[in-house]
Amino acid sequence: MRDKPFRLKLYRWLLRLYPAGFRENYAGPLERAFRDELAESSGPWALALLWIRLLADLAISIPAQVAREVYQDVRHTLRLWANRPWHTGFAIAALAIGIGANTGVFSVVNALLLRSLPFHEPSRLASLRAQDFIPPHDSSKQFHDWCEQSTYLADAALVEEYDVNLGGKRDAVRAHVAQTSWNFFSTLGTQPVLGRGFMPEEDTAGHNEIAIIGHGLWQQLFAGDRRVLGSTIRVDGNPLTIVGVAPPGFDYPSSTVLWKPAAFSPGNNGWGTVARLKPGIEWPQAQAAFDAELDRLSPNRGKIDNANPRPRMRSLQDALAGPAKNASLLLMAGVVLVLAIACTNVANLLIARTADRAAELSMRSALGASRARLTQQLLTECLLLSFAAAVAGLLVAFWTTSLAAQVQPPPLAAQTYSILDGRVLVFPAIVSILSGLLFAVLPSLYAGRTYVFETRGSGKARGSRLIREGLAGAQVMLTVILLTASVSVGRAFVHLMGTDRGYDVKGVVTVSVSLDGTTHQQSERQLPYFEEALARVRALPGVRSASATEFLPLYATGFVGGGFGLDGHRAKRNSTMIPVLSGYFQTMGGRFLSGREFTDAEVRSGAKVAVVNERFAAGFGAPEEAVGRQLTQGKRPPWKIVGVVKGMDYETDPSLVNGNQVFLPSEAPGGFFSTIVARVDGRAEDHLAAIRDAIRSVDPKVPVFGVKTMEQRLAEFFARPKFFRTAVWMFAGFALLLAVIGSYGIVSYAVTQRTQEMGVRMALGTTPVRLRGMLLRQGLLMVAAGAIPGIAGARLTGRFLESLMEGAKSIDLATSAGLALFLVLVASTSIWAATRRIAGLDIMAILRAE
Amino acid sequence: MTALDKTNRQQEYYVLTCTSMRRYDHHAASDLTPMSPAFFHILLSLGAGERHGYAIKREVAARTEGKLKLGPGVLYGSINKLLELGLIEETEDRPDPHLDDERRRYYRITSFGRKAAQAEAVRMRELVQLAAATFGAPKHA
Repeated sequence: MRDKPFRLKLYRWLLRLYPAGFRENYAGPLERAFRDELAESSGPWALALLWIRLLADLAISIPAQVAREVYQDVRHTLRLWANRPWHTGFAIAALAIGIGANTGVFSVVNALLLRSLPFHEPSRLASLRAQDFIPPHDSSKQFHDWCEQSTYLADAALVEEYDVNLGGKRDAVRAHVAQTSWNFFSTLGTQPVLGRGFMPEEDTAGHNEIAIIGHGLWQQLFAGDRRVLGSTIRVDGNPLTIVGVAPPGFDYPSSTVLWKPAAFSPGNNGWGTVARLKPGIEWPQAQAAFDAELDRLSPNRGKIDNANPRPRMRSLQDALAGPAKNASLLLMAGVVLVLAIACTNVANLLIARTADRAAELSMRSALGASRARLTQQLLTECLLLSFAAAVAGLLVAFWTTSLAAQVQPPPLAAQTYSILDGRVLVFPAIVSILSGLLFAVLPSLYAGRTYVFETRGSGKARGSRLIREGLAGAQVMLTVILLTASVSVGRAFVHLMGTDRGYDVKGVVTVSVSLDGTTHQQSERQLPYFEEALARVRALPGVRSASATEFLPLYATGFVGGGFGLDGHRAKRNSTMIPVLSGYFQTMGGRFLSGREFTDAEVRSGAKVAVVNERFAAGFGAPEEAVGRQLTQGKRPPWKIVGVVKGMDYETDPSLVNGNQVFLPSEAPGGFFSTIVARVDGRAEDHLAAIRDAIRSVDPKVPVFGVKTMEQRLAEFFARPKFFRTAVWMFAGFALLLAVIGSYGIVSYAVTQRTQEMGVRMALGTTPVRLRGMLLRQGLLMVAAGAIPGIAGARLTGRFLESLMEGAKSIDLATSAGLALFLVLVASTSIWAATRRIAGLDIMAILRAE
Repeated sequence: MTALDKTNRQQEYYVLTCTSMRRYDHHAASDLTPMSPAFFHILLSLGAGERHGYAIKREVAARTEGKLKLGPGVLYGSINKLLELGLIEETEDRPDPHLDDERRRYYRITSFGRKAAQAEAVRMRELVQLAAATFGAPKHA
């Protein structure tokens, strides 16, 4: 029986799996029973049978006892919570917002940076923008020869995206399509789920009347019918034969619903390139080879400077995430800070609370509860708190993800933010468990000391006081940083919204039409269509004026332009050419510096008249004097300038707007697509449907799309900065709230802890007001200790903020010091409120207790 | 109310909470039926007199001809629950000082426990009667 002690040890070890309460009561009898059974079992078979029975017994009884004690602890916790609803509510709300905001921001980061693209080995894919570099592309052969000779690319494909009128079995709709070199799908490593990809030679004229359609389009137009292969789909009126269906979720580039083999032409400079690196080639090598190739192919490129940076071969993943990448990471950092503040605050609260419960814990300890049992109870409380917070946090997350969905960059539009994404759901679970443990561990350690009889306010509490005041100081520091950031971002946003764009967004309805593939496609039939549509719109009640343009501000995807000049002298910069109909400036709220806009007669007769913007005119002297002079472009017949306008911002990015603009009467407004604009009385939204229907009534076969008010278009543009502003404001507001409650909690706890001391001081003649002043001083010392590094930290955040919002800069010392002062004032109020209990202290009662 | 008063009141409250943790709910005896076989057999064995845990286990095994073998975990889990429900209680009395092992705990049935066991027996009898009326009396009872 040499190994009897070992068996006993093993059984004792197994008994530790029971929850603390049961173990304390029954470990002895269980061990006794084990000894009895062991004594009765002799021989290896009997022993083996005994162990099997014991293990089965443990497997049944341990979960039952755990469930029982957890149930008890949960009930006890709920009773405690009901006793202190504010305390509990705050702790849950703090964590819920922390967890929810984290989940929301994480869903953006997940979609942008973590979720893999639906391509084969996406990290090996590179992207080149058309403005940076286009490989030789005069013909299909020229391009594919270039691919084959490449030393660093395994394969490369050209792609150009545009909008078309798509006609299936029903009326035409407006859709985003792409024309690609034949190897587009094979370069990305994506195979159609139905049919085939494009074959070599299919990107040459005569062979390219085929198409692969997106999964969504297949479902929408063909109801997922597998016999779709071989059917015909009309793109701008031209029939294409469907040869394949793309896999679900594949919509690269930019929500494309149909891909067709390219028609190469030497003049086309709209090609983007996707390429796959050769196996064994790393990114730096590839970049070096690309640079060398660039120098070889176009040695006479313009100077490389800040305005014209050297073209870079970016990874496709980076290219798709775009400017949102840094912003998302910064937001993630901010939101983790908020969660950290929330956790420290809740930890602070719970430490204070645990200390407050010293009496209860001592009593339970005296009644036989072990340290393990008490720790189990405290852990259950904390985990229950984080569980409740996680559930509430999911609600917050639902809201934050729906906000986040508004800011997804267009190239990722199909990758919708889904709250049901597994990773997004696992994240808050991990965050809440970690945060639960973080703030559960501190109080539990503290409880370890409390369970023995210990008088309140003894020397050991000093260490915990320092920890809690340190935490509170750190919190103040982070709050100052977040407050400063929120002011900076807020200012930048106000500036962004208040910018004069050269037109008035209020009360303007926009509706786009495209005549491609319709009976109005011929040049001479385009203007009559628009005249008829505008006549019907103008006849609607509440419409003050209506016009049309081929390039609407905030909606133009491409431009035409050229080297215009004045009286034969070419302007220093190229100008954008914007064809418009009569009444356009009146409708858009444009401002004339001098002259007038086009008349109906001028548009109808194709008169050679022009309106230029202030910037163009300023290149040739005083802008107002340009009226009456001649606008020239090469050898083309000149236009007579009849007006000078303020100019309209086509982009919202301040660095891109306000180039030279030349407005001409639109001769063929159906060339690409045109947008009809109407200025209305009252709310523009109320007129959307009527104006859309009036335009559609001219010819139901003409696709009508982009039915929006100008204000809606602007709001879409500002959705992302608005989201960032709201997020930063929310973080700052939340941090402020936490700081206030944190300082209140600490001082209020100090008052309880030092009741005896206060009583004695008051008995010796100190007034309550002086005592409160003393506590206020001590509290403010803690706030100041955090605020000063906070001001320094805030000065450093400015440069990071610029990635969130254009124009957000680090703000001046005075403002951040002012914000710190504001925080001190707010904290003072909360500390003063926390000390109000001192005024009501009963000296006699305290002294009697002493 | 001073801070001290509040502390005192809190202490009172905690004493109440602590004692209430051992409180058992006063069910009617019939509320506890149907009873698990383990509970019923433990009550049966304690009906004959006070027993310690291991003795209960052996008696149950003997009474059921080895069909119901209570493992230590299930046995003490059940005892814990029966204590909580007030069906049994721990006793300080030792039956025979010579046979006693001081480390053993002895249990006895309470009057409430007796009522609950009776209620379960009545339920079983009614079930047997119903079965007999439905299927006829078995040949080998």
